Amino acid sequence: MADTTLSAPRARRSGKLNLRLWLPLLWLGIVAAAAILAPLVAPHDPLEQDLMLERLPPFFIAGTEPGYWLGTDSLGRDVLSRMIYGARIALFVSLIAATVTCLFGSVLGLVAGYFGGWWDRVISRLVDIWMAFPPVLFAVLLVAVMGTGLGSVIAAIALIDWTRFARVIRAETMVQSRMDYVDSSRIGGARRVATLASEILPNVMPSIIALLMLEMGIAVIVEAILSFVNLSISSDDPTWGSMIAEGRNAIHFAWWVLLFPLIALFLTVLSFSTLGEGLKQRFDPVLQ
Amino acid sequence: MLLKTVLIRLITTAVTLFGVAVVVFTLVRVAPGNPIAMMLPPGATEADIENLKALYGFDKSLPQQFVIWLGGVLQGDFGTSITLRQPVDQLVLGRLPATLELSLMALLIAVALGGIAAVIGARKRGSGTEVGVDLVSGAVLSIPDFLWGLVFVLIFGVLWPVLSISGRVDPRLDIDFTTNFYVFEGLLRGRFDVVGSTLAHMLMPAMSLALPLAAMIAQLLKQNLKEVLVQDYTTLARVRGFGETAVILREALRNAALPTLTLVGVQFTFLIGGTVIVERLFAYEGLGNMAIDAVINRDLPLIQGIVLLFAALFIVINLIVDLSYTLLNPRLRHG
Amino acid sequence: MTVTNHKTALDVIKLNIALPNGVRILRDVSLSLEPGEVRALVGESGAGKSMIGKAVLGILPGNLRVTEGEIILEGQHLNAMTPWTRRSTVAQTAALIPQDPLTALNPVRKIGPQIIDPLIRIHGWSADKAKARALDLLDRVHIRAPERVMNSYPHELSGGMRQRILIAAAFAPSPRLIVADEPTTALDVTVQKQILRLIRELQRETGTAVLFVTHDMGVVAKISQKVTVLFAGKVMEDATTREVFTNPQHPYTRALIAATPSYADLERPFSPVPASLISDLHQQIAQDDALYQGGSR
Repeated sequence: MADTTLSAPRARRSGKLNLRLWLPLLWLGIVAAAAILAPLVAPHDPLEQDLMLERLPPFFIAGTEPGYWLGTDSLGRDVLSRMIYGARIALFVSLIAATVTCLFGSVLGLVAGYFGGWWDRVISRLVDIWMAFPPVLFAVLLVAVMGTGLGSVIAAIALIDWTRFARVIRAETMVQSRMDYVDSSRIGGARRVATLASEILPNVMPSIIALLMLEMGIAVIVEAILSFVNLSISSDDPTWGSMIAEGRNAIHFAWWVLLFPLIALFLTVLSFSTLGEGLKQRFDPVLQ
Repeated sequence: MLLKTVLIRLITTAVTLFGVAVVVFTLVRVAPGNPIAMMLPPGATEADIENLKALYGFDKSLPQQFVIWLGGVLQGDFGTSITLRQPVDQLVLGRLPATLELSLMALLIAVALGGIAAVIGARKRGSGTEVGVDLVSGAVLSIPDFLWGLVFVLIFGVLWPVLSISGRVDPRLDIDFTTNFYVFEGLLRGRFDVVGSTLAHMLMPAMSLALPLAAMIAQLLKQNLKEVLVQDYTTLARVRGFGETAVILREALRNAALPTLTLVGVQFTFLIGGTVIVERLFAYEGLGNMAIDAVINRDLPLIQGIVLLFAALFIVINLIVDLSYTLLNPRLRHG
Repeated sequence: MTVTNHKTALDVIKLNIALPNGVRILRDVSLSLEPGEVRALVGESGAGKSMIGKAVLGILPGNLRVTEGEIILEGQHLNAMTPWTRRSTVAQTAALIPQDPLTALNPVRKIGPQIIDPLIRIHGWSADKAKARALDLLDRVHIRAPERVMNSYPHELSGGMRQRILIAAAFAPSPRLIVADEPTTALDVTVQKQILRLIRELQRETGTAVLFVTHDMGVVAKISQKVTVLFAGKVMEDATTREVFTNPQHPYTRALIAATPSYADLERPFSPVPASLISDLHQQIAQDDALYQGGSR
């Protein structure tokens, strides 16, 4: 009886799980390829302005110029080429910022959850204080303080979002530390830090990986938001965020400048979060 | 018992707020860029700069400045905005109603959309409809408010321009209200033109803020409804002749709603945090939009005031959520 | 099968219930209840005795299906009805006294509305009439201060009190049939007796037929006129209570009586149902199943 009721949904889930892994991977692969091969695949120089060719519509609308597939923006720059080069910055920020955030937050979470006591009290209070800030305003403020540039953007993301990791990992570490196998390992003479690394870390790893994927998507968005308020890197540089900002301003004249980077952002964020869920299910020993 | 809980909460709240004040204060003062220099016309003398510094208290040491500022804040004096030359509390309180109305509207939409999706999903549990609810809510959930805002700008602002994509209200309207709660005061005064225009401007930013939360509510509430719908009292209700929808609405919803309420409470603060960029996106004249201007203009007193207000708002909401959780659950109330 | 003008309260004819994989939970079960009669449905756990009542009331667990057989409630064929008519027919003529009073009342609603609501919304009574009826029945199940109880939440009341309230709620719309699904199992012994007496009293006064599901032969003797003994979803014996206790026909029935402390022969020690008998019965049923073709369509 139990068998029949359980096997049906699980079979369906594993069938969907594959698509859930492969579709996001496919899109992220395209983005990665565009980023790496940008100079080879981009039809134009992303910075090249040509006022004779401003606001050309994309290929499916009359009045376009051959070679400018997705049209041009208000300064006559090729939208497709800027998107391809924008993928470089998007991927760079998402990889570096998410990794830094993950390391920073996970370590604090592990320490708070495992050592408890004052460690936990201080870190938890810090998380409370951090959570009382509106994150976007905090990011804008941090970048304003540190000055614009890619480094500031990455630092701002890490300084704001570490709480996401710290909270989840702390809670999971606390649960894991109470389990028997940790006690037995400790009685066996293993040092505490070694126990943390050998017994607890592997068990919270699925959550860390899922959060890391989620964070990559969030980092892309935060970069876009900072570009949007003109605080990321110089506004000439091709980032999806700056294209969106430009598209928002020129929306009544050239909506495609907003549409295409928006689609790219949309798919990238969706891919990262779906991938995170899929990976979590795959690595979670309980769900296996 | 309840009093003790509240008291402990109030003390930790005070500690957190103090921490927030310290962080903001330090942060804005290590910022490069001299706000005083930006206020003066080119060619101002050293003496002019010193005078202004003294006026805003920037000539004192950081700890001294902090004590003076905190003392003022405790008396309701948040200083004067450097760029707008007005008391910060007036500026901030003038914008707060716009942000509050937007946030409440978004909350309302989120609860309505999420609740309806959850009830439909639970009603059709086990069917393709439920899978559909899961898939859609899963996708909607992972897209943040900023992107939804852009999607709406594109769809309803350009491709099918039925809604205004910037501002809070039609500027041609003559509004002589005593508060800036355009919706509430408009309703009280019977100025439905103002209410209508405000709501029309508010709809898209509110939807952008609401969608991710609506998806979260749909998922959690549906899950909890399904758990409640196997309880004996729902079975009994079916035997007594109530249809499945009636069972969900009358018997299950209130029992399943408690975890969702907690979620909504926690997420409401995130939603309010989201107003900052969404207001910017829709040029909506609220606190968040003002905050970004303040950061860009290095308006230190204004930044401090706004961030502190946001923090206080978040903490008060969390407190209210905790208390209402106790009130809505009869077992806790009498226990 | 024709339904005669003499209406039975309930007729279950050759009922089969199966899991999606075809394994049968009930095997050709037939039983009938005259109006005003109490029939005990007795068997060990897993015998499928609760499933009969659930099938009648239309609340089988999601993965179980009626594969064959007829259920006739007050002369009405339930199987032939649309879900909607079936539900309202059942609500008009039958009621349930559930097993566990602790989980059968909605924890966030007051007692009063939980009794009164169905009377108003399903049976179309006026609010005053429904309230008067609820007060009257609470009084009859010996609830003191019924007004105050109606205004309480379930967690403020004891388990025995809640079961009495559920009995009152079951009898409130004057049903022709009540399914009592092990209503005393979750209660302690002294309260059990009280509850049995209450059900008996109310059933006699109202002439309601009761299908009383239990695993306890002691309870059977106290409450029922007829007994159906069930093993592995199959009827072992169907007789009057007197016959069952004085002259049980089936070895399983005898074993069941012997296993009940107060009815076991005092000279012999208390004996559980012998394992050899159980395995014999299972073997028999497996042979029957091999021949069974119904429900496989």
